[in-house]
Amino acid sequence: MAISQAAVIGAGVMGAGIAAHLANAGVPVLLLDIVPKGAENRSALAEGAIAKMLKADPAPFMWPRAAQLVTPGNLEDDFDELVHCDWIVEAVLEDPEVKRDLYHRLEEVRKDGSIVSSNTSTLPLKLLTEGLPARFAADFMITHFFNPPRYMALLELVAGEKTRPEAVAEIAAFGDRVLGKGIVHCHDTPGFVANRIGTFWLQCAVVETLERGLTVEEADAVMGRPLGIPKTGVFALLDLVGLDLMPKVDASLAATLPKDDAYQALRRPFPLLEKLIAEGYTGRKGKGGFYRLNKANGARVKEAIDLATGDYAPAARPSLASVSAARRGGAKALVAHADKGGAFAWAVMSQTLAYAASLVPEIADDIPSVDRALCLGYNWKFGPFELLDKLGAKDVAARLTEEGRAVPPLLEKAAAAEGFYRVKDGRLQHLTVAGDYADVRRSEGVLLLADVKLKGPPLARNGSASLWDIGDGVVCLEVHTKLNTIDPEVFKIIGKALEIVAKDHKALVVYNEASHFSAGANLGLAMFAANVGAWPAIEDMVSEGQKVYAALKRAPFPVVAAPSGLALGGGCEILLASDAVQAHAESYIGLVEVGVGVVPAWGGCKELLSRYSRDPRRPKGPMPPVAAAFETIGMAKVAKSAFEAKELGFLRSSDLVTFNRERLLADAKQKALSLVEGYQPPEPVELFLPGPSGKASLAYALRDLFAKGQATEHDMVVATELAEVLTGGAKADFTEPTSEDAVLKMERAAFMRLVKTPGTLARVEHMLETGKPLRN
Amino acid sequence: MEKNVVIAGYVRSPFHFAHKGEMVKLRPDEMAAQVVRGLLERSGIDPKDIEDLIVGCAFPEGEQGLNVARLIGFLAELPISVAGTTVNRFCGSSMQAIHMAAGSIQMNAGEAFICAGIESMSRVPMAGFNPLLHPGLAERFPAAYISMGETAENVARRHQITRQRQEELAVISHRKAAAARAEGRLSDEIIPVDVKGSEVTADGCIRPDTSAEGLAGLKPAFATDGSVTAATSSPLTDGASAVLVTSEDYAKTHGLKPLAKLRAIAVAGCDPEVMGMGPVAATRKALERAGLAVGDLDIVELNEAFAAQALACADELGLDLDKTNLDGGALALGHPLGATGARITGKAAALLQREGKEFALSTQCIGGGQGIATILEAA
Repeated sequence: MAISQAAVIGAGVMGAGIAAHLANAGVPVLLLDIVPKGAENRSALAEGAIAKMLKADPAPFMWPRAAQLVTPGNLEDDFDELVHCDWIVEAVLEDPEVKRDLYHRLEEVRKDGSIVSSNTSTLPLKLLTEGLPARFAADFMITHFFNPPRYMALLELVAGEKTRPEAVAEIAAFGDRVLGKGIVHCHDTPGFVANRIGTFWLQCAVVETLERGLTVEEADAVMGRPLGIPKTGVFALLDLVGLDLMPKVDASLAATLPKDDAYQALRRPFPLLEKLIAEGYTGRKGKGGFYRLNKANGARVKEAIDLATGDYAPAARPSLASVSAARRGGAKALVAHADKGGAFAWAVMSQTLAYAASLVPEIADDIPSVDRALCLGYNWKFGPFELLDKLGAKDVAARLTEEGRAVPPLLEKAAAAEGFYRVKDGRLQHLTVAGDYADVRRSEGVLLLADVKLKGPPLARNGSASLWDIGDGVVCLEVHTKLNTIDPEVFKIIGKALEIVAKDHKALVVYNEASHFSAGANLGLAMFAANVGAWPAIEDMVSEGQKVYAALKRAPFPVVAAPSGLALGGGCEILLASDAVQAHAESYIGLVEVGVGVVPAWGGCKELLSRYSRDPRRPKGPMPPVAAAFETIGMAKVAKSAFEAKELGFLRSSDLVTFNRERLLADAKQKALSLVEGYQPPEPVELFLPGPSGKASLAYALRDLFAKGQATEHDMVVATELAEVLTGGAKADFTEPTSEDAVLKMERAAFMRLVKTPGTLARVEHMLETGKPLRN
Repeated sequence: MEKNVVIAGYVRSPFHFAHKGEMVKLRPDEMAAQVVRGLLERSGIDPKDIEDLIVGCAFPEGEQGLNVARLIGFLAELPISVAGTTVNRFCGSSMQAIHMAAGSIQMNAGEAFICAGIESMSRVPMAGFNPLLHPGLAERFPAAYISMGETAENVARRHQITRQRQEELAVISHRKAAAARAEGRLSDEIIPVDVKGSEVTADGCIRPDTSAEGLAGLKPAFATDGSVTAATSSPLTDGASAVLVTSEDYAKTHGLKPLAKLRAIAVAGCDPEVMGMGPVAATRKALERAGLAVGDLDIVELNEAFAAQALACADELGLDLDKTNLDGGALALGHPLGATGARITGKAAALLQREGKEFALSTQCIGGGQGIATILEAA
């Protein structure tokens, strides 16, 4: 049965967030909660949750219109509506009796073949199905989402012995393809996979921090980036998830785990935590936690708590030799280092990783499942077993033995063999529980560049970009600079791609597997050239970019861009120059050049104008496309999802959206191949631009913005140049066409005038130093 | 021999916030047609006798373009013999429509006219879809295209209208309008409109809970160091209005009930940088033509485009604020540009009758630097 109507019961943070994400994926969803006592509006809880989500940041909805797919209701008046639902997600109180009572009621209304799942994070499936009829047990499973459901890619699935395998397959496929989640099949054990290991790691890190007398800043500096863990580390992560969550999770694990589980030995009182919670310091949602923002005296000072005294002081930037060593030598250098950071890292990670190694196959069938769970659920760059390989399975086993500690059998096996993962015949393989190796399986329709890379060398490569043969005649252009910024070396590889694909391939896909598609042009290079007054070099970079992007657009084969994460400035302009875009739903796209004091000059102005001019939804006449482009570029609007990008015109309505990050490349390749037959490059578009009359209108609008304080002095300089480009310059008149080339020329001229102004240089410098735009 | 001209009926649609009110989805031509039909029904005039439908509109394009007056005539199912023309004097458009009807009547060029006004500020943006300014004029004489907010700041500064006074006027305007709505004093003039199947019966811009304290916290809307806020500016509004203008003889012989007689009219230009002062010169001219003094006025409808501008005009002219905008002004009711002139003139006429007074003034300022004024007397 296809899932065409869903329901979520329980409009708390998780339930509402799951409902929002179902709506993001285009699935109509009923959101029900109880009728509050004496409430006039009987569906107030669900309605309130939706209203709150529409204002929340980060936004649970990918675009406001998705909210229309969520129908609020209550468990008394609307319960019968559940008869229409194919999947009912329960996200009510973590109380088995409350849940089971609800399940009994559900049995009376839900249709045959519908699936019920619980979003419980602590209760075993066995307990939840006690006393329920066979039909329920067959249709029931646990679907454990992570918070916030839109952004966290992990979905843990727990099936019971009686659960229909088809039901599990259906939810797994739906969660994967439609909701875009990475599915991890977990066994019915406490905390399932990610939280079982994640909670152990957090608890262990807190205990070791306290016992070793590290500061919270030091602990987070060690337990974050050097290990490929988000920079929130331990204490900032606890602030983020809420301090009050920790005792709850702890109590639940303590009650459900066997007495001899290693976690039990880590438990001990943490009086400071109790005090903080009691005083309302519940983390970021409260007054602060281990860190807080002190806004006294008008300044915003980040403060950290002293774990010994409980007093706050301005947060320090710890300098630890072990952390510095990790910058070059990675995690291995970190744990090998003798300073307190290295010792702390070893203590925590050796316990955590050994614990993980002791849990397979108890909690999941294989080690890739565990690694995926931590990567997707805790945003670790490497899962526990990947980390063990980084540290060296042999070395870890040896050091544990040396320290007189137990070595889990699975780690022993890895140490005796080739580690937890190996590459054989161009294929990634993992260690099995039996001690041999098996291919890491990818679902059908998943194509990873990481796997392609194992098979052989690239078609071409330099320091900034590479070309890979991804099969069926399709070439993948991968940019791999820092934040995937675009530089002249990237242009060279694009030039190479144009040659290679035209000669003996069919299509080009622009894609990479980093967090961000591209943050734009390499500003550092531009700044360097500006500092030595090498203006011709800058102009070369601009005109070279224009040429290369135009060549991509006019290439005799289809070009499909596949962004995920940021696609800004010059990165956005690649999308605009492509024949089609296959966008990850979590793509954040915008032309943000004004933030660094310039205008888009690799065809961004031209492309947006041409798209807006052809948009049938806009009123006719020369000004609407110009005014819209002026607003979009002038305000540096960034779409916060692929759907918003369609609204803003960065994506065409025909461009496709992929929810699952791992399916993006395969989908893009498919899209590219679909364009091959009968492919004709797009013809240049003639624009009818208003010229000085239009510029005069924009100038008035700008003047008003400046008076209102919404535009700064340098904003005026930049926006005036932008107005010049978008209106077509002094000679343009809407009775005759302005060519795309003429607009490109104006883009370049405006860019060059701006880049020589002190205001723009100050903006570039500020961006390079702080990563934030300067408002000068 | 000059004929007397009377206002023999006045109606309007509810006024609602543009972009967020209940009339966003209502096309302005359709809105006006419903209002015109309402006027016909309430006044009881035989539509065959109508010479012309004159419609004022400040941005006559899009759904209010294409000589919308003719289309409104078709939509309202006026006899095909009734002509239609659209006039534009920005905010003064529908008062201008009344003046044109009066002129025609006195020229013996018709006995009865419908003078309407429309503006959907939701559906047609201020300045229209294609603002294409004369670049040379913009350079030589920037005030030609000056924004309205800036003119309000100019007036406030030059005439020393403090923010506090502006806010007091806003509070009073909302209080009066809220009372009028609550006491049903607006229902005679409002024609409920059908917005895609649901009926909108009452005004939507009035905020009865407006307080001086609440307003004091707002940020300036147009200049960081300015005194004019969103609350002391009339809101962007969707609305339509219509009055029936006939010769006095026609009204008498056809059983119509005149609300007031037109006594004098005037328009005047002023410096566009302080366009809000337009009512001063226009009112002085009209009073002189009427042979009256400010002190003779019993009822005043002074459009509140901005509190600053309304107060400066009242100061300059010596208007009695107690006799001004009895049921609230545009700060509370809203200001659908093209529709306001017919509203305040029709309202002044209706108030003359309701209050049993003798003379009334309706006047308003106009972007680009103009004023328009109408003096009415008891019918």
